[in-house]
Amino acid sequence: MPELSRRDFLKLTTNTLLTASGLLGLGALFRFFGYQTEPPPQTAFDLGEASSYPIDSRTLLPNVPALLLHTDQGFSALSLVCTHLGCTVESKGKGFACPCHGSKYDIQGNVLTGPAKKQLNALRVEITPDGNLILHTD
Amino acid sequence: MYRRLLFIGSAVLLTVILLAWQQGLRTPKPITLTPTLTGKTEYCITCHADLPEISKSHPLKTFGCVSCHGGERLALNADLAHSSMRGGANPSDLSVVEMSCGGSNCHSGSEADNRDHIQRVMTSVQSTYAGAIANIRFTFGAQTDLAAHLGINAITDEHTQTGITELDAFDAATETNPMVQKFGENCLTCHINAIPRDGDTYTRQTGCAACHSTEKHTLTTAIPYNQCNACHNRGNYDLRAMTFIERTDQPTKRIQDYYQPIAQFTQCEYTLDCVDCHTRSEVMGDGDIHANQKDIQYVQCQTCHGTMTNLPQIKTITDPNDIALKMAFLNPVLDLKLGDAILVTEKGEPLWNTRVLPDGTYELIGKATSQRFNFRPVMGTACEQKPDEQGSQYCHACHAVER
Repeated sequence: MPELSRRDFLKLTTNTLLTASGLLGLGALFRFFGYQTEPPPQTAFDLGEASSYPIDSRTLLPNVPALLLHTDQGFSALSLVCTHLGCTVESKGKGFACPCHGSKYDIQGNVLTGPAKKQLNALRVEITPDGNLILHTD
Repeated sequence: MYRRLLFIGSAVLLTVILLAWQQGLRTPKPITLTPTLTGKTEYCITCHADLPEISKSHPLKTFGCVSCHGGERLALNADLAHSSMRGGANPSDLSVVEMSCGGSNCHSGSEADNRDHIQRVMTSVQSTYAGAIANIRFTFGAQTDLAAHLGINAITDEHTQTGITELDAFDAATETNPMVQKFGENCLTCHINAIPRDGDTYTRQTGCAACHSTEKHTLTTAIPYNQCNACHNRGNYDLRAMTFIERTDQPTKRIQDYYQPIAQFTQCEYTLDCVDCHTRSEVMGDGDIHANQKDIQYVQCQTCHGTMTNLPQIKTITDPNDIALKMAFLNPVLDLKLGDAILVTEKGEPLWNTRVLPDGTYELIGKATSQRFNFRPVMGTACEQKPDEQGSQYCHACHAVER
């Protein structure tokens, strides 16, 4: 085995260090450019086929949170986010009640007792050409 | 020379990159939370997921951490994340409470909306300590009357009902009497924004949490008597030495857990919790600056028991927005409903944890214990109390339990 001169050894080591630095640097660069920012909150929810929701049905959508109503007038939806501070209201009796601060709403979302002052928000429901329901919260 | 420099440079570069890489690996993967109230993502629960929900009214999913605590919501380095927190670990400290707990939808705002909590606390004797300061200054000749001129902090009340429109800040350093100076140095550890004395026995936090936080990271309106003990029953002042003498006894029974130099109690006094009788305006203030505790504290035995000639005052709840319903909602020890009859104080404050029973007696439900107590009015009994003698000491004459 030929002996490695001091000069060659330094050259090899330097090249190895530079290559390692370059690879790690490239990795860091990829990581930097590949950084995923927080996705914006979801504002459109695919609820599947509209035919899955019969007329006169009331469907709780806890992941939105919202209540989907299907009447002979069509589809509508009510946000279940309390208009006071944003807690999720719960179905209680014939209306809704906020478990955080006690606001109560009737079945249409109108305020019965505070501290909430505004009614529950009505949400837009869209039927796509292929018959799917999309609920919009924005 | 060139090769040597290149060698050293490449070694340094690799070291720096490796250190940066290692630091990146050490940074935890963020756990995100986007509270509905703010809609802004925060990373706090990456490290603090173990903390209990602070209360039913402050769910994490709705409030998150930053709206109350402040801090850098997207920082994963502890020092950076905590660098802009309000009040350290206690955002209810009165120095920052308006930013943390205030706001027109929360605990600051109009009296009509029952949102003036902060304003009431700021002007209450619990915060101002005005009575104690006035008494000591008067006693040692620093003021010529017992009127409240100074408080712990300067405070104004533009809509005063008591005639006291402002208090200047008490500053022991500007006092000339050495006893008043000593009072300032040794005896101002009880007002709710004072840093508590050392020791675990009577530990408490400051601001709202002084009363409402009975366990770590919780807020409650079910406040047990021993929370009040953190200030009100932890020892006595020695006015000759102008210092505070911490109690050292270890009470084993509730009736012994009073340090005040009285030995007689009625059953109410050693069975109920303080908040079962004392109302929110007595404890948290009514929005006016008062000269001393006596001016704001008014509930007596007759409030619940009436007198020989008068039954206690009651009211039937007819308004769905009645404050009594809201308070029962926050601490549901009883299912209070529209149409229920409850006792009210002489000032009309609801004793929402009481109810009038069909047989004419009353029931009180302990706010902290849920324990039920049945009690009767004085009227129609053998009680011979005098109408003008309503203090507890008069009731002790017949109803005292010695300890």
